Amino acid sequence: MQVFLQTLIGGITFGAVYALVAMGFSIVYRTMGLVNFAHGSVVMIGAYAASTFYMATRLPFAVAMVVAIVVTGLIGLVIERFLRPLENKDFTLMLIGTIGFGAVLEALAILIWGATGHAVPNPVATEPINLGGVRIPTYSLLVIGVAAVATTMLALFLRRTKLGAAMQAVAMDHEAATACGIHVGRSNALSFGIGAGLAAVAGSLIGPMLYVNPTMGGTLGIKGFAAAMLGGFGSMPGAIVGGMAFGLLDAFAAGNFQAYSELVTFVVFALAVMIRPTGIFGEATVNRA
Amino acid sequence: MKLTIVAVTLVALTACAPPGEDSGSGQKTEGPIKVANINAQSGQLSSLGKWENKGVKLAVDEANKAGGVNGRQVQLDLFDDQGDPTVGTNLARKISADGYVAMLGTAESAVTLAMAPILKTAKIPNITSGQSPKLADLKSPFLFLNAPTSVTFDETLAKYLVDEKASKKIALISNNGAYGSGEHDAFLKSLKQRNVTPVADEVVTPEQKDFNSNLAKIRQQNPEVLFIGAEEVQSGLIAKQARELGLKAVFAGGAPMGTDVYATTAGLANAEGSVVSSPYLSNEASPAIKEFAAKYKAVYGEEARLHVAKAYDGASIMIEALKQTGGEGGQKLADAIRGVKRDGLLGQYNYDESGVGIHETKIGLVKEGKAVPAAAS
Repeated sequence: MQVFLQTLIGGITFGAVYALVAMGFSIVYRTMGLVNFAHGSVVMIGAYAASTFYMATRLPFAVAMVVAIVVTGLIGLVIERFLRPLENKDFTLMLIGTIGFGAVLEALAILIWGATGHAVPNPVATEPINLGGVRIPTYSLLVIGVAAVATTMLALFLRRTKLGAAMQAVAMDHEAATACGIHVGRSNALSFGIGAGLAAVAGSLIGPMLYVNPTMGGTLGIKGFAAAMLGGFGSMPGAIVGGMAFGLLDAFAAGNFQAYSELVTFVVFALAVMIRPTGIFGEATVNRA
Repeated sequence: MKLTIVAVTLVALTACAPPGEDSGSGQKTEGPIKVANINAQSGQLSSLGKWENKGVKLAVDEANKAGGVNGRQVQLDLFDDQGDPTVGTNLARKISADGYVAMLGTAESAVTLAMAPILKTAKIPNITSGQSPKLADLKSPFLFLNAPTSVTFDETLAKYLVDEKASKKIALISNNGAYGSGEHDAFLKSLKQRNVTPVADEVVTPEQKDFNSNLAKIRQQNPEVLFIGAEEVQSGLIAKQARELGLKAVFAGGAPMGTDVYATTAGLANAEGSVVSSPYLSNEASPAIKEFAAKYKAVYGEEARLHVAKAYDGASIMIEALKQTGGEGGQKLADAIRGVKRDGLLGQYNYDESGVGIHETKIGLVKEGKAVPAAAS
């Protein structure tokens, strides 16, 4: 039982991060029908930005995180601006463009921070909470809390604000949205910016849990992408459920299948997607290439 | 990349064409002595290859400045094996055709293993930086290691933990990559010889980040020692999460656990007291090492490390042997290398018939992020 609960704690913590990454993938996909393959690299830049400001300038962790969100948000806007001339013209080129940006960001990170990377000290250096032998690191609680707040804020933004409603409208039918006077380009830029901001939240949270280096975006990107697929690509609740499911799947496979855990995780994922190709929250997804 | 491979193969083939023609460059008594350094300069393993090359170059430059080998300069040429055994075998043919008397490198056991038969036939002595026990198993008279094999690392560790510290409850966690599985097998073998059965033996994947499940199982056994068989970052993550779970066991492992990457990833407090088995504990371990580290930093502007030091040792041994043969290669050079007794940075070199020169590692304890010799603490 203790092992079960401890595994659960680890799974939920990493699941929360995967959910944030998946949400970043999904918000861009639902507005533009585009998979942003640079997303993993944006997560990496977010991790670097937050950890650098936190460690070098001794900013409080929360402030460093906000700075990281601004930095990656700007990167998101730049990527969108470059891709905008291709919008509704050449979808494949846009996809390749995002892959290219991923490579560029990785190369930039190596130029700025070097190839070796750095470890980030835990910002909440307190003893884990002990609940009957199950230990919950305080940092895990922080990760889950921040992820929950970010998710709620995003949901409120999409549901309750005019801008959010406009983005939803573009996602449903961009021609009709244009007819209503919504600026599609601006809406796309906003989705890219928010996606990149979410990447920064995920990146800055994962920094102290892992080791920040230029290639860390690869695995996180793949897991986040798979989580988004599992939940239903483009669906926000799907991204959260998918992320959690992936974190837990990973955690329990590690304990029970040892060296085969990765294999088991992705076989289960492949089976799930085969049985339900649209994911758990299978919305009719957009495709406007 | 394909083009270069084809080009290299062509060069090798054309150069091989005239049979029986001058393969014994050992006869030459004038001009520079050609020594090849083969290491990955591109691809995933290029950081290792670059360190190795810097260490080798430092030794050769010093020797040349001091007058070379009996008045002849050593010409060091660098070849990129891309960490790929196929490229490695092509390069082995190329250097034998081009009249190189000796080869230094590579940093990857797999590449060296592939090249060894060709170099043996061509009678080109090779001092490698590989650490796989499989290299020693070849028993090639032309292959020498500049570091101990994993067997020595883990045997020393087991000796310290079980024989000296009388630890009985030992748990293992290792990844199933090339390095991790090698460590796992070697340490397990050393434990078996001492009639110790590990209380837990968890295997993880090299990409894994969350070890809660594996560590929770280990915690149930309440081990005194946790052996970690993984690379620097993963070892650090395992140590950090283990302490978060309240595991009190002493961490033990090979060379990766003596690095600052391990200590900072785990957190200095969590890494404190970790037991490290390595022939090169730190840049401050001895006066000779201190001097070397300062010299290295002055030339390259970065900190020295194990990979640099062992490449430097290997190249120095090669130069010493060349001095004895007067620049001649072949069997004579191999015999000369076997005869070199060097008090190197990694320890006392004393080659046996399997080409292993260092037969022990040192035990260090991590203190404030740095490995210090266990005896001094």
